[in-house]
Amino acid sequence: MSSNKNDDPISDKILNIAKKNPKGISDKDIIAAVPDLSSAELVAAINKLLQQGVFDLFNQGGSLIYRLKAQTSKQAVKGADNEEKVVYNLIEEAGNKGIWIRDIRVRSNLANTQLTKVLKSLESKKVIKAVKCVNASKKKVYMLYNLEPDRSISGGAWYQDQDFESEFVDILNRQCLRFLQQRADKIKNNPKGPILGRTQSFATAVEVQKYITDLGISNVKLEVEDVVTILNTLVYDGKAESNVYPDGSKVYRAIESLIPPPGLVQVPCGVCPLVFKCCSTGLVTPQDCKYMDEWLEN
Amino acid sequence: MSHQLGRVVSEILHRYFGELVQQVGNDLFIYGSKPISMIVKTTGLPRKQVIESLRTLLKFDLASFEPSVHEVVADYKLLPDNVLLLIRYPRYLLQIKSKYGTEAELLVEELLQQATSTATGLLVTVATKNKDDKEKNITILKLRDTFVSLATAGYIQQAPVADTKEGSSDVPSLVPVATIVPDLDTRQLLHAMTTGSLADIKDNIYWKVNYDRFHQDFRDDIMVKAMTRRIDDNAGELMRLLLQQMYLSSAAWAAESNPTPALDIREAVRRAADKSLLSQHVDHYLKVLEENGAGFVRRVGDAGGGQLVVCGRRAAGRLLEAVLDHVVTERLGSNAARIFRLIRAKKYIEEDDIQKHAMLPNKECKELTYKLLEEHFISVQPMRKAASAGGMAKAIYLYHIKTHDVAHTAQELCYRALHNCLRRAAHERNKHARLRDKQRRVRTIVHGMRMRGEPQQNIDDVEETLTPPELALLKDVEKRLKQLSAAELELDRNLFILNWYFMYSK
Repeated sequence: MSSNKNDDPISDKILNIAKKNPKGISDKDIIAAVPDLSSAELVAAINKLLQQGVFDLFNQGGSLIYRLKAQTSKQAVKGADNEEKVVYNLIEEAGNKGIWIRDIRVRSNLANTQLTKVLKSLESKKVIKAVKCVNASKKKVYMLYNLEPDRSISGGAWYQDQDFESEFVDILNRQCLRFLQQRADKIKNNPKGPILGRTQSFATAVEVQKYITDLGISNVKLEVEDVVTILNTLVYDGKAESNVYPDGSKVYRAIESLIPPPGLVQVPCGVCPLVFKCCSTGLVTPQDCKYMDEWLEN
Repeated sequence: MSHQLGRVVSEILHRYFGELVQQVGNDLFIYGSKPISMIVKTTGLPRKQVIESLRTLLKFDLASFEPSVHEVVADYKLLPDNVLLLIRYPRYLLQIKSKYGTEAELLVEELLQQATSTATGLLVTVATKNKDDKEKNITILKLRDTFVSLATAGYIQQAPVADTKEGSSDVPSLVPVATIVPDLDTRQLLHAMTTGSLADIKDNIYWKVNYDRFHQDFRDDIMVKAMTRRIDDNAGELMRLLLQQMYLSSAAWAAESNPTPALDIREAVRRAADKSLLSQHVDHYLKVLEENGAGFVRRVGDAGGGQLVVCGRRAAGRLLEAVLDHVVTERLGSNAARIFRLIRAKKYIEEDDIQKHAMLPNKECKELTYKLLEEHFISVQPMRKAASAGGMAKAIYLYHIKTHDVAHTAQELCYRALHNCLRRAAHERNKHARLRDKQRRVRTIVHGMRMRGEPQQNIDDVEETLTPPELALLKDVEKRLKQLSAAELELDRNLFILNWYFMYSK
């Protein structure tokens, strides 16, 4: 810790109390800890520490609070001016969720132009970076350079530069289904009984993940929870059903729809975009329907 | 009772009974119930024709009547649901043929055509019609046995009789009677066959087809097939046995049957012992059926080795969902179907969450959601914070599915499609009426010539009056009509599932 540089015993003592109370200390705490201190000495010591940038100064309920700064921040903003420090701290606070430029402006009380300048300078120093948010394409959030953006910001494995990779998802969806379908037939007339057959036709997410990884279709490492998301889309597609094993793990099984395509979708009217405009007379009628003609031809 | 239903009913009446009945039927459909004089007034038809049409409608149970407020005249009402059954006739025949054979098919066909008939009258007519058919080898004795077994199984029942009680009004009312399996005298039947007259036999019990019994069969078939698709043949077989057991103890269309002990099922499986795999693993199959059978079967207790219940209501609901899924898939694509199912699974869901779970690009997802909304497959419920000031407060939009409403949407679509098929078929028939007429005439002439044994040369001459292009056209028309009527049957199957669902939601 930088406090080691301080030969001053008073500063050392104050730092020690501050370390014990990460929420910050007040004047009273210091006086209680170092009782044989004149107020002039105390002020001199604190001023020195503040100059060194060891403390942050806060006004809480009318009394001043000194809080020890985290070590990293102190190192990172070396050679920065005050505005940069303030902005840096705000960004650091936000963690890997990032912080929106408007929020920085409001909380730092800096003018727009000045803030942009500050952010630019920080960015050029590679201290912070701007990340585009997947939910709102125009919204940019700032976070420390070394942080990995949160899933809610980057969108996880399914996003490449905040573009959703629907083809990738589709391919995975199909591969998962194929894997499940390979097993699905085992329940049919299984000589060992249906319960065993059912167990064999189930696949856990871990098994599916292994299959997908072995296929090597993905250059991104897929976590089990990513595979679960894909498997859930299969459930929503009505092509699989999920069940829970006694040990709490989720298992999946390929299924077929309960009924073959019903009559409504076998006739052109069931899929006709004009069906609600179709009348007995007028321009759209079943008698002269082009779709019906085509359907009846083949 | 929608406009679309009216259009379908009108087309069906036109096809089966002609224009007059169609007009009367339309009038009744639009105005609800009304007496004869009012029908005469609005349709502008002669009174005699109106009465004739009403008689037809009443005979085929397509309309009902009840005394009006004055108690002297009757109000007539159309029964649109029964009119829709007219296109289901081929299915009844197929069903009865596969279950009871040709004799039963002939009997039911004749009975459907006559609407009501006495037992002896029916038997003698069918026997006389098929007297010359050596291949089928129909005898009146066989027919009688079939008739008795049909009556026992409930496929045919006694027609309701007029209430003749004292003090009733001038307008008779029809009361259903319990069916008693008839004891038909063989000697009398044979006598009637040889003399060809029914005058000697006093038989005043009239019979009609019991549609509901057929519908139970259709329902069972759907459930068994669904289980076969979902699990395997053995599970399907087990479902059939469960349904059989259900009929013993509960009403046929009960939302949930009375509990059946698993012991009885095991016994039934043992008796139908040709499925060795099933009898080996009955308990396992029951368990799998219960857990993976889409909720068709539910376990209610453990007494007596387990008590099982067949959930008709839930089965209907699940099948309806399957129908809707198919419809959404075909109309708006599989991604829309994914969103549709997602909303159903989550009950109420926000737009953002739909995107997250459906794994679709934002834009596409939104578009499909709004399309679903536009076609009334899903509904939206805005939630506004009442106390918040200004426009800043963001409303939450919860998407959900009102199953009953969506089922109605699907039903409307079915009616539209059915109407269009019927209409198109009528159009095709009209367009080629002359040609079809000619073909029919040629056929009759050729048939007559063959019967008289005229030389082949002459027969060929007559047949050649139909030119090759005409023949090709006829073949084409025939194919189109066949395809259309197949589509009608499929649509009817679809409607059957929907109606089954509505049965429970009333």
